[in-house]
Amino acid sequence: MPERVDRDGTPAYRFLGVEVTRREAAFLVLGVVVLFIVPDLTTVSDSLQLSVIHQGLLFGFAAVGLNLLLRHTKLTSFGHAAFFGTGAYATAVLARYAGVQSVGLLLLGAIAAATVMAAIIGVLSLRHTGLYFALLTLAFGQLLYAIALGQSALGGSDGLPIRPGPANQPLLFGTAFSPDVYQVLTYYLTVVVILIGLFVMYRITQSPFRNALDAIGQERTRARFIGLPVRRYVWAAFVISGIYGGVAGGLFAVVRQYVRPEGTLFFLRSGDILFMAILGGFRTLVGPLIGGVVLVFLQDVGQDVTQYYEFLTGAVLLILVYGFPRGIVGSLRSGGIVNTRLNELRREPSVLSTWGRTAVQSLERKVTEALTSLRIILFGVD
Amino acid sequence: MLEARNLRKSFGELVATDDITLEFGKEDGELVFIVGPNGAGKTTFINLLTGFLSPDEGSIVLDGDDITGMSANGRVDAGIARSFQVVKVFEEMTVRENLRTVVLTEQGKTWSLFSMADGHEEVEAQVEELLEKFRLEDAADTVAEELPHGDRKLLDVAMSFGLDPDYLLLDEPTSGVSTREKEYVIETIVEVGRAEGVTTVTIEHDMDIVTEYADRVVALHQGTVHGVGPPTMLETDDELRRLLLGVGDDE
Repeated sequence: MPERVDRDGTPAYRFLGVEVTRREAAFLVLGVVVLFIVPDLTTVSDSLQLSVIHQGLLFGFAAVGLNLLLRHTKLTSFGHAAFFGTGAYATAVLARYAGVQSVGLLLLGAIAAATVMAAIIGVLSLRHTGLYFALLTLAFGQLLYAIALGQSALGGSDGLPIRPGPANQPLLFGTAFSPDVYQVLTYYLTVVVILIGLFVMYRITQSPFRNALDAIGQERTRARFIGLPVRRYVWAAFVISGIYGGVAGGLFAVVRQYVRPEGTLFFLRSGDILFMAILGGFRTLVGPLIGGVVLVFLQDVGQDVTQYYEFLTGAVLLILVYGFPRGIVGSLRSGGIVNTRLNELRREPSVLSTWGRTAVQSLERKVTEALTSLRIILFGVD
Repeated sequence: MLEARNLRKSFGELVATDDITLEFGKEDGELVFIVGPNGAGKTTFINLLTGFLSPDEGSIVLDGDDITGMSANGRVDAGIARSFQVVKVFEEMTVRENLRTVVLTEQGKTWSLFSMADGHEEVEAQVEELLEKFRLEDAADTVAEELPHGDRKLLDVAMSFGLDPDYLLLDEPTSGVSTREKEYVIETIVEVGRAEGVTTVTIEHDMDIVTEYADRVVALHQGTVHGVGPPTMLETDDELRRLLLGVGDDE
């Protein structure tokens, strides 16, 4: 492998197996700083709400897990909310029925429940690939949703509040805090969990295990014939990705102190998680996280502006797929479409007119194609 | 020794292999070529041996153990590797990454979640060795899907060798390769196979190649073994010549 170097040739730094060029290190530090000062930023502007960003980060974290499947094994799961929901409900049930108060224990419970759930769903759905796999994951997700709706012990459609302690909220470090402080503290807990989760995921994506997953994703038959027990590897990846969902769901329950089937297990949440990964750039590590924040933010802002806010996210998805298939992070990083175009523009501003012409031309072409198709459909002839 | 005993496989009405009994590797490192007209059941036979298909009847025996029910990946671990007629490599990986993946798998390192994929010295050494043997050094950092066809075939074969097999089954390693590159591909295979004592069983349509390199030739026709013998069989067996070349009266 060629040594990774910066633009000016400075070799990459290595720390705990993480290899970054100076440019990447700068972005990394910036990202961490931004994550930590979010609670301050939200006091500056009303349109930024801590709870919205927090929710975006949590769902985005689930998307980081989903991305292990999507990016490497090329399997599309439409049921990842199942693990988010399992984590959330496990937390709620532990707090309410077992009287667990410590956030740490609650999260461990969420991890355990999500692991078991992912192991079971994985065994059952990974017999298939492609469309059938996607449909099976969707079906299992809906099954859990139906169970949560139907069981009165789980609160049905009203959901389950988490109120174990006398202070009506879980304890952090054995202490109860006022709601405002609790919100900020759980946010920082989320940030720490996310940073650890990203680090772990980064190491996994540098490991021989990743090679096995890539092999399976790129040429499944050959993977079998170099001696990989394919299904076992995909299952392991599925469980790992489920654990990320479970952790996110558990944190979500701890933060919200309330769990509803709509907000955690519904199949549209699965769609959101998948969308986040693609929006942020599923070929990147942090893309899904950023996709999560952007999508939840869009949905939140959209809801304020218009009741047709789904239209807004739909439009974003279309623009993305046609214009920026590599997602936000994939398009922005060096070599991505945005940088390439900006460089062209900087060198030769007149390319703008070329772009305009190409855009008009391709639009014309698409319209002509559409009209032709329409003629064929309506009249049966070209 | 790898044995096929009375192997039978049919697809609906079509009997692809009909009671095939053969043995390979009585002598270490023998080069066997399988010849036969289209539809003779050559590929089906290899698919059966490697576990890509399971036979309707008959058994496959490796060094005395019945491996008929063994999974495809289990057979790879047991020392049987194969390549495919249509190149099957990991398209988005570079040549080096392809080989690294194979060697990591062969050495049982792919369950390691937290070591660096490129940090295993023994693996890297073996990858370099493979690159050199198959003369792929210059293409090492090229993504597989961008390789010229001959190099893709070589990579495919190099990956099979990277599994350190005792038996290597190659399904037309020279198909689609230009005449000029053909010699080069097959020579590399023979050279490495001989050097490492690997028993190779190769399906091949080019009779010049078979005549030049084969220790033993197996001729299949309509799912049955037409004959087994030295490469001179191609010259002396008129019936076989007619089948293979279409020379004769009724074709």
